[in-house]
Amino acid sequence: MALHEERRKLGIRLTGLQYGVAVVFSVLAVSFWVLQVVKHAKYEEIAENNHQRTLALRAPRGLVFDRHGRVLVENRHSYSVSIVREHTKDLNRTIRLLAAVLGLEERGVREIVDRHRREPTYRPITILQDATLAQVAAVTARRLDFELPDVVVEQVPTRRYPTDALASHLFGYVGEANDAQVAEGGDLKSGDIVGQSGVEKVYNTLLMGEDGAKRVVVNSVGREIRTLEEEQPNEGQRLELTVDYDVQRSLEDGFKWAGFNGAAVIMDPRTGGVLAFTSVPGYDPNAFAAGIDRATWASLNSDDLHPLQDRAIQGRYSPGSTFKMAVATAALEEGIITPDFKVYCPGHATFFGRPFQCWKPGGHGAVDLRHAIEQSCNVYFYTVGNMVGIDKIHKWATLLGLGEKSGIDLPNEVQGLVPSPEWKKAKTGEKWYAGETISVSIGQGQVSVTPVSMAVYISTIANGGTRVTPHLLQAVDDGSGWKPAKAPAPQSTVALKPDTVQAIRDGLYLVVNGGGTGGAARIAGRDVSGKTGTAQVISTEGSKAAKGKTTQDLRDNGWFVFFAPRDNPRIAGVVFVEHSGHGGTWAAPIAKHVMETFFAKQEGKPLPPGPAPTTHPPEAGGDDPLPPRPSTSPVAVNDRAPERPAQ
Amino acid sequence: MIDSTTSDPTRATSHMWVTQLYAIVLGLGVLAFVLAFDYRTFTDKSHIIYIGMLALLVYVMLFGTVQMGARRWIPLKIVNLQPSEFAKIAVALVLAKFFGENRGAPQWTDLGIASALTLLPLALIAKEPDLGTAVTLLPVLIAVAYLAGMRMRILGVLCLGLLLAAPVAWKFGLKDYQKSRISTFLDPSQDAKGAGYQQIQARITVGSGGLSGKGFKKGTQGQLRFLPVAHNDFIFSVLAEEQGFAGVLVALGLYLFVILRALEAARLAQDRLGSYLVLGVLASFTFQVIYNITMSAGLAPVKGLTLPLMSYGGSSMVATLAGFGLILNVRMRRFTN
Repeated sequence: MALHEERRKLGIRLTGLQYGVAVVFSVLAVSFWVLQVVKHAKYEEIAENNHQRTLALRAPRGLVFDRHGRVLVENRHSYSVSIVREHTKDLNRTIRLLAAVLGLEERGVREIVDRHRREPTYRPITILQDATLAQVAAVTARRLDFELPDVVVEQVPTRRYPTDALASHLFGYVGEANDAQVAEGGDLKSGDIVGQSGVEKVYNTLLMGEDGAKRVVVNSVGREIRTLEEEQPNEGQRLELTVDYDVQRSLEDGFKWAGFNGAAVIMDPRTGGVLAFTSVPGYDPNAFAAGIDRATWASLNSDDLHPLQDRAIQGRYSPGSTFKMAVATAALEEGIITPDFKVYCPGHATFFGRPFQCWKPGGHGAVDLRHAIEQSCNVYFYTVGNMVGIDKIHKWATLLGLGEKSGIDLPNEVQGLVPSPEWKKAKTGEKWYAGETISVSIGQGQVSVTPVSMAVYISTIANGGTRVTPHLLQAVDDGSGWKPAKAPAPQSTVALKPDTVQAIRDGLYLVVNGGGTGGAARIAGRDVSGKTGTAQVISTEGSKAAKGKTTQDLRDNGWFVFFAPRDNPRIAGVVFVEHSGHGGTWAAPIAKHVMETFFAKQEGKPLPPGPAPTTHPPEAGGDDPLPPRPSTSPVAVNDRAPERPAQ
Repeated sequence: MIDSTTSDPTRATSHMWVTQLYAIVLGLGVLAFVLAFDYRTFTDKSHIIYIGMLALLVYVMLFGTVQMGARRWIPLKIVNLQPSEFAKIAVALVLAKFFGENRGAPQWTDLGIASALTLLPLALIAKEPDLGTAVTLLPVLIAVAYLAGMRMRILGVLCLGLLLAAPVAWKFGLKDYQKSRISTFLDPSQDAKGAGYQQIQARITVGSGGLSGKGFKKGTQGQLRFLPVAHNDFIFSVLAEEQGFAGVLVALGLYLFVILRALEAARLAQDRLGSYLVLGVLASFTFQVIYNITMSAGLAPVKGLTLPLMSYGGSSMVATLAGFGLILNVRMRRFTN
């Protein structure tokens, strides 16, 4: 009986256990149902992300060619080392180890990581661009050891520019998109390489390709197991520039031979297509292509010579005597004088009770317009300028392109200045004094111009009144063949009277081929026409303030504007040489070399050899420098001589 | 008959698969061997078996090989032996005999002796350290004592005592890695890359399986090793990933079937001794199954507990099959005297 009772109790307890187990298993089944069926979508997505990675395949930027199809800017392969934090367990350890392996400073690596810390973890943080093969080998060896599973080495296309800073300001450079660019540009992501200056910036949307992507399966330590799908990157569009490599080269050679800094813009006066463009000193855009290091960037920025400044479009300089054609044009077009109008030059003249000097102490005697241009007679233009008046000088200088932006397809162009009474009123609140017109008439006073606007100015004179827009883009190939780019419309057009054009052309022809100051640019049979200019860099007061600077910095700037041939110009331009003294000394021979190269190339002849370093010309004497600087008496010309631009 | 040879989708490399096959064959041999004798023969000798097992545990502590930070294995020529797996059977035998000889509801003294018999090997195993396996000895004690008629009040007091002991154990008894496992269980995201990693990955593995699973060997979580020791502790997660909820239901059903059949055997047993023995063996098995499956779904702290019959591990397989031998033995001899 006891046994039976006991068995009954035991049975009850066993039944309890059976129910207990059944309940537990039911709970388990429900839990699995919740995880696997109810929340399936969520976990499936996580699992997909777990084992799949999307790797960007960088698109190469479009190549850049010169007008004859010669490659100017191309791409090369480089390796970049990045950290993908998605599965990083100990970021500090990764940073420490990676810095040691790459031979970098740990602090620097940490700064880079910190800068990108808030981005999604799957996006690689590039630590080192353009890694050396030794560095790549060091990293990949570690990866195999599973020591740096969160580090990836990518092959990326990198820009390659001509090695010797050729046309560096024209090409510009590329760099990682900065925060502002990412914020404004729709498709841009942090880490994208975009143009930061020059053609690279202006035509960035064309040049930038579309990155491809590769979806790969990875295991838990990030090792790629296989590729699921691959979307090839699309190379950026190819650009053909109006630039001619050989003309560009001859221009750069000319500056190297002269050994001065400066800028030059050479173009086709009929269209505005830029044949050559430079600003010296340049920089090496290759240094930016793979991420510029801090030291290089700092030295470029702190350099007194401002290599990053594009003097051709951002430098403002006093034009000096090259401005005289604007006064001549105004006088002729307004009917105030004829080309035969004569002025007697005794070497000086008095206007409004103040003496103004000609550069030739003895005077030029009686000169007409043609010879006044040829001889660059100051007294002639003082007189004519005074007759024309500041309003009309301003009007015609502007129509010729001075004091205006040229509209060239390069970023951050600045505007020059041709003063007017309105401008002075707005600026200082004072009225215009007629005496100021006298200095403006010879390109002094407040007149300042950029080299590119001078190129437009001389082209407008050469083509008879069309203010062409300088441009660099000739054709675009989006993969379906070259399509010519539409040349930009002229900024303005005014039909200059044939008499006017002819008279000024004659004068300019005499400058080079007669007894003028541009003889160094003479080429037999080419009818080169041009005008030299010499502009003071600094006023008397300024030269006192600038004590300590080298005398080189205080020397005058030299200009040479030109076109050729005289009667059907196909090349025009400006060469501006900083602190070179007279414009005929250095600027004119550089222009000559460029023109010789241009014509030789046009006719398929062998290119002329570069100017030899030993053939430095003698200082061109007695030309059209400014009136001698007075040390005592106040001379209008010197009162407001422009200072060297701030940058 | 209890279908003790549940299907075995062991996920591992080929040589591990072969090793596991050997273990099954060996286990079936042991099972047949155990069946050949009356279970009373074993319980009569239980003190000898128990002492021998203690000796093995001490030997492991002194001379065992170290793997993954724990000294658990005795290297034999061909295989490594893990004595802690067999400790469960020895404890079940000795407890069955102890309570089987006592009449009436166990008193405090009985419980004290039984606890001592359990805690001695438990302490040795916990020292290895292998807290997971050590803890499986507790259900053996509780289940057998419960079946023997231990008053519910005592059970309540025991539970209360355990609860009170928990903070003390937290402070003094647990190692840092054990603490971190428990604290990350409560909030896995606090350490998603470290200790919480396995738990999160386990949930992802199970959840991504869906209703019908990704297919045999098509699982990404297990195959690409996002889930660590997938062939061992997390075998059930892999099953859930590859066979889906359907596979989970089948597996759960099989385990439930096995357990209920074993409980039936305990009910049918000819004497109390047999019932206690069945339940003693079954208790650690059931505990392990439930705990491991819960952990596989990321619903319990990660602990190095295998899933009997499915996980990779020769000792576990042989010991489990030997245990089933005992259960079958009791059921088989329910009519003999």
